[in-house]
Amino acid sequence: MRHWRQLGLLAPLALAGCSTDNIRLFHPDGVMGGLEFHYTLWITGIMLLIIVPTLLMTIIFPLRYHHTRNAKYTPDWHFSAPIEILAWVIPLGMVVVLAYMSVSAIYRIDPWTAPALASAPGAAQPPINVQVITTDWQWVFIYPDQKIATIDDLVVPAGRRINLTMTSTDVMNGFYIPQVAPMVDVMPAMISKDAFEIDHPAEFTGFSTDFSGAGFSWMQFKTRIVAQSDFDAWVKSVQANPDQLTYGVFTQKIAPAQVNYGATPSYFSVADTGIFGKVVMDAMNGKTYPVPDSLTKSVASNEGEAPASTAAK
Amino acid sequence: MQVAVDGPWTPLLGRLSLEAIPYTNPILIFTFAIAAIVGLVVVGSVLYFKKVGYIWREWLCSVDHKRIGVMYIILGLVMLFRGFIDGVMIRTQQAIAIGPNSPGYLGAAHGYLPPYHFDQIYSAHGTIMLIFAATPLLTGLGNVIVPLQVGARDMAFPYLNAVSLWLTVAGALLCMISLFVGEFSNATWVGLMPFAEMSSNPGVGVDYWMWALQVSSLGTTFNSINMIATIVKMRAPGMGWFRVPVFTWATMATAIIGLTAFPVLTAALCMLGLDRYVGTHFFTAGMGGNYMLYINLFWTWGHPEVYFLMLPAFGLISEIVSTFSSKALFGYPTMIAASLGIAGVGWVVWAHHFFTMGMGPNLIGFFSAATMIVGIPTGVKAFNWIFTMYRGRITLATPMLWAITAIVLLLLGGITGMMLSASVVDYTVHDSVFVVAHFHCMVLVIGAGIFAAVTYWWPKVFGFKLNETLGQWFFWTFVLASVLVFIPMFQAGLDGETRRLDYLFDTSLRPLMLAEVTGMGMYFVSLFCFLAMLVVSLVKREPAGQDPWGTARSLEWLTHTPVPFYNFAVTPQVHALDELAWRRANGLEKAQPERYVPIHMPSSSGLPFIIGMLSFVCTFALVWRIWWLAGASLLAVILLVIIRSFDKNEGYVLSADTIAEMERKLHTVSLIAEQSKVLPVGGQVEAH
Repeated sequence: MRHWRQLGLLAPLALAGCSTDNIRLFHPDGVMGGLEFHYTLWITGIMLLIIVPTLLMTIIFPLRYHHTRNAKYTPDWHFSAPIEILAWVIPLGMVVVLAYMSVSAIYRIDPWTAPALASAPGAAQPPINVQVITTDWQWVFIYPDQKIATIDDLVVPAGRRINLTMTSTDVMNGFYIPQVAPMVDVMPAMISKDAFEIDHPAEFTGFSTDFSGAGFSWMQFKTRIVAQSDFDAWVKSVQANPDQLTYGVFTQKIAPAQVNYGATPSYFSVADTGIFGKVVMDAMNGKTYPVPDSLTKSVASNEGEAPASTAAK
Repeated sequence: MQVAVDGPWTPLLGRLSLEAIPYTNPILIFTFAIAAIVGLVVVGSVLYFKKVGYIWREWLCSVDHKRIGVMYIILGLVMLFRGFIDGVMIRTQQAIAIGPNSPGYLGAAHGYLPPYHFDQIYSAHGTIMLIFAATPLLTGLGNVIVPLQVGARDMAFPYLNAVSLWLTVAGALLCMISLFVGEFSNATWVGLMPFAEMSSNPGVGVDYWMWALQVSSLGTTFNSINMIATIVKMRAPGMGWFRVPVFTWATMATAIIGLTAFPVLTAALCMLGLDRYVGTHFFTAGMGGNYMLYINLFWTWGHPEVYFLMLPAFGLISEIVSTFSSKALFGYPTMIAASLGIAGVGWVVWAHHFFTMGMGPNLIGFFSAATMIVGIPTGVKAFNWIFTMYRGRITLATPMLWAITAIVLLLLGGITGMMLSASVVDYTVHDSVFVVAHFHCMVLVIGAGIFAAVTYWWPKVFGFKLNETLGQWFFWTFVLASVLVFIPMFQAGLDGETRRLDYLFDTSLRPLMLAEVTGMGMYFVSLFCFLAMLVVSLVKREPAGQDPWGTARSLEWLTHTPVPFYNFAVTPQVHALDELAWRRANGLEKAQPERYVPIHMPSSSGLPFIIGMLSFVCTFALVWRIWWLAGASLLAVILLVIIRSFDKNEGYVLSADTIAEMERKLHTVSLIAEQSKVLPVGGQVEAH
């Protein structure tokens, strides 16, 4: 990875004996994750140029000027224009550089439009569109072009740009696949967007990052990047699935609160491509899916686990 | 109009019934038993030693700013303990509940806290630590120190000061009683919308959280008004704006934030209250509501609130670094500019709390750059502290150790904060425990500042020093514990661990969670050292002199230790920024006034305490929707305020002879023998 040489910038932060192998965000994948990590390293590195000397002074001065040391003592020296000017100008200079980096980065990585992906190989082909709906507490992925849907399983082809359009049934969640895609909030009655592209088959775990209730800890989904041919075959097999996801099935069986322990996936064929839009409109019209108090109190307690995990799909 | 509630409702008791008592939860029963025993011991000893009258007259009815400050600090420490125990439960739960095969106890499938309980705990942890621990501790320190630093008799509005305290206590009581009656909010300390609305949260938890914040923020707003009035109007003669001590300046900046920011929270919570009680749709997802409005309003208050807590801590650190370096504070004017700058910039950065909501690159770019600008005045402060130490004569007493640690933490919190201010980094760690570790670094700066200040000003208030050896033990164990908890937390955040998880699906996090829980154990050791320090110091009670540290610089060290209730026998004349240092240099630090003049003092009153308790009853009744009780107690509060406004009592006057007599006694006690020079009295009879 080209980021490895930049890791040297973080060396002072790394604790002795700590390897980065088990720190996920140090191993980004794809253009979006890679860019995020690139900027993280540069921003951190530039700041260390100031933080490290300041830290050293903070620790050395109390020892150097300890009263037992008889070092030079100037009790009335309390102002120096050159030092004051430096004290303002150095942080100012750093902030100018960092702000420039941050602002230019957001114009490359903005999850809504993902300009960084425009130059990626996948830009040559049309993107794969996935509609994401979060319920309490599952992930529904609808592929409007392929006319299929899954629960808690995001399968996408390698080397293609993935465009995600997201909404939620009634409370906020956060969409996040570490190493792969930027974290974006999933909001009821609103539509948010995210995008990513991975050029090789791989597996990741995505999850919700914004607390949404008692079942929040179990809101994971598998993210499988597969070869294009495998993806096509998988789409065909799901299209043949007799389980149909309709608006009625969604509102009556999937949207009401339930926990999918272990994120067991389910698959559907879809005839009605308007489900996503209807969910957005429902939320705008005030439709909610209240979590029964009894369920909130029993999620993941011994007696609650069994019924909730077998919830109807 | 009125929102229908789940479950039974009776006119007499509202939603309250026996079912609200969680007598089936062994953890809460244990907590209740401990609380009951402690409560009985406290009440019993007050009765046994026949101190009821003393407590009522001298403390509960007191309008003395020092007593009120001490009560604020006691409240803060009690709530700090509660918040700490919440933290211990969060950490132990996460150390156990990792992976599908993790064991479950006490009715939980994983760990020992099911989500229903766990979610309340971390919501309470955040609310309590910020609103009921950090805020009262800093307000208390401000109460004790500021009037002394400006040479005043008391706060500008002593009665309002007491009202502020008891309103804060009412909020804290509401938080505490939610343990044993009903439930607390599970919607985090920020109140997630639309999750905190009736549709997702029909219980009383969110109501408890909302009213606790509402009533205590009222107290904080009053306190800010009081501070501003005190600093603007009550400075001693000779104290121009550039002779105001730096902590007082910091408090001024913070009070301006408090006065301007807290009403935003009040308004936001009022709208939430209307949603939850009347059925409006301010913050719902549908029906024309907009929960992003709440999130913006909350952080419009919430981010200035961070600096509301931070600035006094910076002020405390400035005073302490300068004292223990035996040197004037470096760059005093830029220090003030930096404080005011932080207070100002703090207003235009709020949206960095929700970069992930997708406000578009233009707005994100603006808020990202604006957030980074906060780094400039903060950096200036760090440099100024460092150059205060440069060529100083440094004593590494406990307060100084805390202050240096605070600077180190500020650098660590600063670098991670600057990382987070870049939205591109925020997209990878927003809502992760990396953010949690970052802001804990920052609140530990506040914590270190508070511990430094408590150790430093303790002798001024109580007349004896805290034990230095145990203080150092407390310090080192606390630092070790913090390293053990928060360094692994940074790593877990970079590994992608999200906040607020009752159950961790990622088993690779186990070693980090174990390290963190070890750190919590270390915090227990440090808590023990803290308590031992208090006990040993109380037993030994070695009397401290007027300036127990020998190198203190500001006005409060000029008067007796402990400070008499009238603060200064005569209002001091200020000659320099560091008045005591100036007097010491000119051989005037033990100078006595040539004559005494009568002092106008405020009378104590039981009304603030009663108003506070009635506010507690009122908000408790509102939580449970007991309308008659809420109405009656609110009416009683209004009547008391009206009655008070007709009160002709304008305080009392201490005659010059009484002061002379009291001063004579104090001198024989505090062994100040030499009375080298005589200073002229500044003015005539002082208005308080």
